[in-house]
Amino acid sequence: MKALINVGVAQIGFANQPSVLRTILGSCVGICIYDRMKKMGGMAHVLLPNKIGDGKDEKYADTAIPILINHLLKDGCKKEFMSAKIAGGASMFKFKSNISLGEIGSRNVQVAREILQKHGIPLMEEDVGGSIGRVLDFFMEDGRMKVKAAGEEKLFYKV
Amino acid sequence: MLTHVKNRIESIINNINQLPSIPEVASHVLNMVNNPDIDFKQVAAEISKDQALTTNLLKLCNSAYFSKGKEISSLDRAIVTLGIKEVKDAVLVIATRTVLDKVVMGYDLTKGMLWQHGVAVAMMAKKIAMLTGEKARADIAFTGGLIHDVGKTVLALFVQNVFKDIMNAVENQSLSFHSAEKEIMGFDHQEIGEKVLEKWKFPEILKDIVRFHHQPFESSETNRKMVSIVHIANSVCLMAGIGIGSDGLFHELSTEAIALTGLADVQLESLYSEIPELLNQTKDIV
Repeated sequence: MKALINVGVAQIGFANQPSVLRTILGSCVGICIYDRMKKMGGMAHVLLPNKIGDGKDEKYADTAIPILINHLLKDGCKKEFMSAKIAGGASMFKFKSNISLGEIGSRNVQVAREILQKHGIPLMEEDVGGSIGRVLDFFMEDGRMKVKAAGEEKLFYKV
Repeated sequence: MLTHVKNRIESIINNINQLPSIPEVASHVLNMVNNPDIDFKQVAAEISKDQALTTNLLKLCNSAYFSKGKEISSLDRAIVTLGIKEVKDAVLVIATRTVLDKVVMGYDLTKGMLWQHGVAVAMMAKKIAMLTGEKARADIAFTGGLIHDVGKTVLALFVQNVFKDIMNAVENQSLSFHSAEKEIMGFDHQEIGEKVLEKWKFPEILKDIVRFHHQPFESSETNRKMVSIVHIANSVCLMAGIGIGSDGLFHELSTEAIALTGLADVQLESLYSEIPELLNQTKDIV
């Protein structure tokens, strides 16, 4: 059955064909990983780049992405068939550079790219930065990612 | 500026019946609580005039966020146990829900998103008030956070029609979204929100919060810190995507507002990183 599964802030969601994973992003980054043979995947919605202290692992790019990958591997996915797409990482339109909170969006994007690379998952496409809010839909039937932002829709097909 | 749009908005804000309403009891309670000599029995008597509100209020007072674990069975108990300001905040949550908990077309907010945003900003603003030496006014931060975007509900249909013009003004003139609203439609959602609060007979400080939440340093000096607190709470929630719509993050994060509250960078980041826990708390209310 086709289901629409909402992935909240600091959550990781998984689904099979033909379901859809959805999340809404500001400065957070949504990391979508898809196995094109098994037609299944997962999405992490991370708030911050690096875990410091004892926060929940799902909040941070450097701890959430390994959880996402390992869960998919456990479900029978294979790394050679996996690929990633990311979206989000927006910043406030105007802020002074001395406010580190303002840089979180771009730091999230940077670290998400690094962690994916470190784990050998190719990053196929991304829709990041700017000041737009994004509604991100990730389709398990073919791994495409749809980004709805500021009244427009964009599609990303590469897997 | 699109004069025909401006004229239509003007006719709406000049016709009080076309602006959203809340139960009268809520406005009375809000103003009674502002009076330091008020007797809590009078407040209880006022609330009990509205039976539906009273029933919902007792339910809400027993939610985890408000009750803090204590069983509350009557209005008197609620006021004695939680305090009059907490009960006032709960009254406002009930009273504003029907106004805020709906689809907001032009801003691309599906049903519930603006409401969840208001509740999250309310809780975040209260938390910031407690952190920055404003414990005595934390309830005002809560109420202000709850209703800061009420003007969007009135402006939504107009924004939907002229969204492309607004975005062009944002991109070509580098205007924040609210400035672009004003540029194209003659009004922004903050001004409309202030008109709504006038209708509701809300106090000046709440009008200032609604009117200046994107430009806190244009508010009166007396109210500036409270406006700044809601400004920061709103920014942090939007960055985490809570109630983010077609206006995205096309807003300014004010350095002056941050400096005025005295919040350090590390505190700001920790407020942002605690959003998931705060969202769990909103579940009691939304």
